Amino acid sequence: MKRMGILKHYYLMLLPGMVWLVLFSIVPMFGIVMAFENYNPGQGLFHSEWVGLGNFKYMFQLNDSVPVLINTTVIAIGKIVFNLAIPLVFAILLNELTHLRYKKLVQTAVYLPHFLSWVIMATIVIGIFGYYGVANTVVKSFGGQPHLFMADASIFRQLVIGTDVWKEFGYNAIIYLAALTGVNQNLYEAAAIDGANRWQIIRNVTLPALSTTVVLLGVLSLGNVLNAGFDQIYNLYNPLVYSTGDILDTWVYRLGLQNLQYSLATAAGLFKSVISFVLIFISYRLAYRYADYTVF
Amino acid sequence: MVRNRTFGSRAFDVVNIALLGLLMVSCLYPIWYTFCVSISEKSAANAGLVTIYPIGFSLAPYKQIIGDGLFFNAFWISIERTVLGTVFSMLISVLMAYPLARPRREFKLRNTFMWILVFCMLFNGGLIPWYLTIQQYHLINSIWALVLGGGVPIFNVILIMNFFRNLPKELQEAAVVDGADPWSILFRIYIPCSIPVLAAVALFISVYHWNEFFNGLVLMNTSDKYPLQTYIQQLVVNIPTGTSLTPDQYKKLSELSNRTLNAAKVFIAMVPMLVVYPFLQRYFVSGIMLGSVKE
Amino acid sequence: MRKSIAGVTLAVLLALSLTACSGGKPNDDSQASSSSDTSNLSGDELAFYKFPKPVDVHIGMPVDPTDTTLPKGDSAGNNQYTRYLKDKYNINVIVDWTAATGNDFKQKVSLSIASGKLPDGLVVDDRSFMTKAASSGLLYDITDLFKQYESTQVKDIMDSTQGRAMENASYKGKMVSLPNITVDTDGVHVMWIRKDWLDKLSLPIPKTTADIEKTAKAFIDNKLGGPNTIGIAGPSKNTFPYATFLVSSNNMGGFDPIFGAMDAYPGYWLDNGDGTVTYGTLTDNTKKTLALLADWYKKGLIDPEVGTRDNVGDPINANQAGIFFGPWWNGGYGNGDSFKNDPTANWQAYPVYSDDGKWNVHMKTTGSTYTLISKNAKPDVVKAILIMNNALVRDESTFDLSVAVAWYPLRNVMAAANETEYEYTELLKILNGQTKPEDYNKPNSLYKLMYSDATKVQKVIKPPYDNLNVGNFDTSNFGDFQRLYSIMIGDRPYTTVPIDKKVYSVTYNQTPTMETKWANLKKLEDETVLKIILGQAPIDSFDQFVKDWKAQGGDEITAEVAGLLKE
Repeated sequence: MKRMGILKHYYLMLLPGMVWLVLFSIVPMFGIVMAFENYNPGQGLFHSEWVGLGNFKYMFQLNDSVPVLINTTVIAIGKIVFNLAIPLVFAILLNELTHLRYKKLVQTAVYLPHFLSWVIMATIVIGIFGYYGVANTVVKSFGGQPHLFMADASIFRQLVIGTDVWKEFGYNAIIYLAALTGVNQNLYEAAAIDGANRWQIIRNVTLPALSTTVVLLGVLSLGNVLNAGFDQIYNLYNPLVYSTGDILDTWVYRLGLQNLQYSLATAAGLFKSVISFVLIFISYRLAYRYADYTVF
Repeated sequence: MVRNRTFGSRAFDVVNIALLGLLMVSCLYPIWYTFCVSISEKSAANAGLVTIYPIGFSLAPYKQIIGDGLFFNAFWISIERTVLGTVFSMLISVLMAYPLARPRREFKLRNTFMWILVFCMLFNGGLIPWYLTIQQYHLINSIWALVLGGGVPIFNVILIMNFFRNLPKELQEAAVVDGADPWSILFRIYIPCSIPVLAAVALFISVYHWNEFFNGLVLMNTSDKYPLQTYIQQLVVNIPTGTSLTPDQYKKLSELSNRTLNAAKVFIAMVPMLVVYPFLQRYFVSGIMLGSVKE
Repeated sequence: MRKSIAGVTLAVLLALSLTACSGGKPNDDSQASSSSDTSNLSGDELAFYKFPKPVDVHIGMPVDPTDTTLPKGDSAGNNQYTRYLKDKYNINVIVDWTAATGNDFKQKVSLSIASGKLPDGLVVDDRSFMTKAASSGLLYDITDLFKQYESTQVKDIMDSTQGRAMENASYKGKMVSLPNITVDTDGVHVMWIRKDWLDKLSLPIPKTTADIEKTAKAFIDNKLGGPNTIGIAGPSKNTFPYATFLVSSNNMGGFDPIFGAMDAYPGYWLDNGDGTVTYGTLTDNTKKTLALLADWYKKGLIDPEVGTRDNVGDPINANQAGIFFGPWWNGGYGNGDSFKNDPTANWQAYPVYSDDGKWNVHMKTTGSTYTLISKNAKPDVVKAILIMNNALVRDESTFDLSVAVAWYPLRNVMAAANETEYEYTELLKILNGQTKPEDYNKPNSLYKLMYSDATKVQKVIKPPYDNLNVGNFDTSNFGDFQRLYSIMIGDRPYTTVPIDKKVYSVTYNQTPTMETKWANLKKLEDETVLKIILGQAPIDSFDQFVKDWKAQGGDEITAEVAGLLKE
């Protein structure tokens, strides 16, 4: 009887969140039927012509779909890899600093870009890599030819990955730095007494201390393989770089909101959701099995 | 900490300090650059001549902004949205996190709820159904669409829940023996013990609300309802020289291709973050450490 | 417990999904009575009828986020234009939503159509939006009401297009929107060049592409626009290398005259005269022109930032550029800041000729914006929208334009197709003393801006009148200066120089297959063209493009367009 009483409180606590969830997350999911019909706004969601998997078949006939998928995965995987590696290097370098004030100062500065939106960062990136931007001033001062960075499809992916890493490396290093504070200082002292040099200490003490974190973060980011970052690309791209820069999310956006292909857009979005769901499921299982880590 | 002070080691220190200094500068540069453009002469800025220091000096953009009701309106809406959104999300997240942090033997349906949450985190109906739903609730053009429309921040619920689970079990048991009900356990014991992680989560949510532009664009019907980032986005990124402009529309546009004014607006939009950030740094650092790296 | 929660959840879901699907039905909560008894009225009495009771018209409208002309306290729903409509016709304009012109507005329209909830009136700038709304049954069939309520002026303007405007505004034989009718000269692209720079270097006016190449090089070599002088300005990231059959006019900064001089008409459906059609982009002449442009780009004659600039007008207004291409209004209206920054910037407009001395021009469609009227609008509301259009056409010239006329609700321009040429000729007559401004004081004239321009022209333009330069113009009222500069300089080529070859597209609308496949093909085309110009792809990639284009639905669409020819 007492147990039932406590459960009542638990349900009550869950209630506001569940209502919110139902209203803003579950109800919209009924819209998924749109992906299987030729949605006609005049007839409504439940009376439009049913086309089964027609939209999905058509999606793959479009000569956009394959490049878009390739762009999405290349950019996303690039971000995953470099957002693991660069912060790792940065955290190790920062750990080597002995001057604590300076360390603090560097940390304060490098976390900052994470908190600025892509709307704002995009104006800055375009200001830097525009034709008369800072990048070209440097190129010209070394006698080079100015280059159209923002319109060069062959470097757009690198630009996207690079600016994302630049924005996030400091913030992503926080977890590594947290792991490093957990390292027993005796290990460093013992290594130093044994006559190990800096590099040997990094390799034998610091890196092993970070390895589980790296592996875990890597596994958990598997679910992001189709998340190449809508906000960033939406604010940076232009038609000249569609061939390498158009990703699933921006493509879906243009299909749905500029070409009025509502059903096709919903189908493409659903395709992404399903793949991501499977990947995340796999990554959580992997994390549980090999790192004994449960996300929830 | 004992270090070998060999030449190589010292050289490494010097290079390291310089390298990290460079990284630091690269992260501060965007702010400096925006500031420089905003106070430079209009013609120099429009020709892209401003790089590392201002060229000329003009406060005209700032004067213009002071008279711009729409800008301050958007600024205020962003603040309102951030405050409301953060309070709402935090309240609901904490309330959900507590029962979900109970072991299964105590709360049988815990895993069922957990799966519903995770499912909702990973799946969505797509942009258009989502819009149609919010329209059905008559929330279009209301600040509540911005506050609620982004959905429950489920990942944050999981963060808080994980933290709650790692609190010593004795806390809960002692309280139960004292006859406390779940509400007082949550508010008197759990929350006071979790301030760093709650502060960090609150920061995540408020940064999300402050920086989000897309929902503002889609869900708001008039520009006097736009939050700040949406307002800036439509000024800076959406240059409407598309299909069929009429001459008089065009005339207006070409007269106002104004980099300095936009830079000034962007700079002002950064200010709240710059002011608040140093005070919160402590919290988010410790919050991330406590919340996501679970040993 | 579990069951009951599941039950409640299900009930909530059902209730919500039911309301979700019942959207889009007309709501009859307000007084549906068609209050107006208009049986005894006809003609212009109906066209300018004042409702006895206020009629509410809900609209969605694009706004320019940088506009500063609206007085403090006024808004999209309450300004001099809405008050005018209220006072004169008892029409209450209620603005349901606004969005920034361009992508944001498109997005809002798209969502409105998706939700089946159009405001009563809405002006869209893309025909596919009109056809999508029409095919979804969201639009009012205005065929009969329009006939009843059009003013004589509107009728004359419609007639000046020989039925092309009506066809443009119709879907499956029913008139479902009000068409936009713009002057033909909007689609005639000319060369704009700094005559003062030519004079400085004692160069002649370039006529052919070879002349232009030499002139642009001379501008750059002599750094006439400063260290970063641009010979030829080009399209921005939002404009196009050439106008196409879907967007056939007002292409500022494109290369249309260069294509014309090479007898190439990319983006147009060309009638081969034997029952077949060719898509103009695929021709050898287009390929040759692209090779020429790529060569110019390589030589540094074209703006290095072509295709990526935010705003096509930037280098022109900064007076960095010596040449650009565009329609009549691009000089004057289109580059106001250029004159403000340098009052001696003597922009002049000329045709570009082929090597054998011909001026070839591609011609535009009647108009490309559409006033949509919701199926759920009440008859009175439909009438009100038609009256708003009549009123705009009649009274636009009398408005105080210090508030941008874009604030007029549901503004959709209707002008006689030859309005600019008429004005050029008549204004010159006034200047030369052959006529007087008062001669043009004819209410309800087909040329609605003529009288107001006639009263201004003598103030703005100073003699001598035979060879107008920027120095002849008084800029103290900048708006008047811009308009008259555009007419007298910008439209001079089209009014005074005979065109050797006018090329019309077989169609200016999408065929059924285009609705699904065109976006894709267009993207392929845009990428290929820009990459070739920028030297990012070799000219030979053009041949692969032609193959791909045909294989990916182009052939199918070509057959459809050829089918239109037979009708």
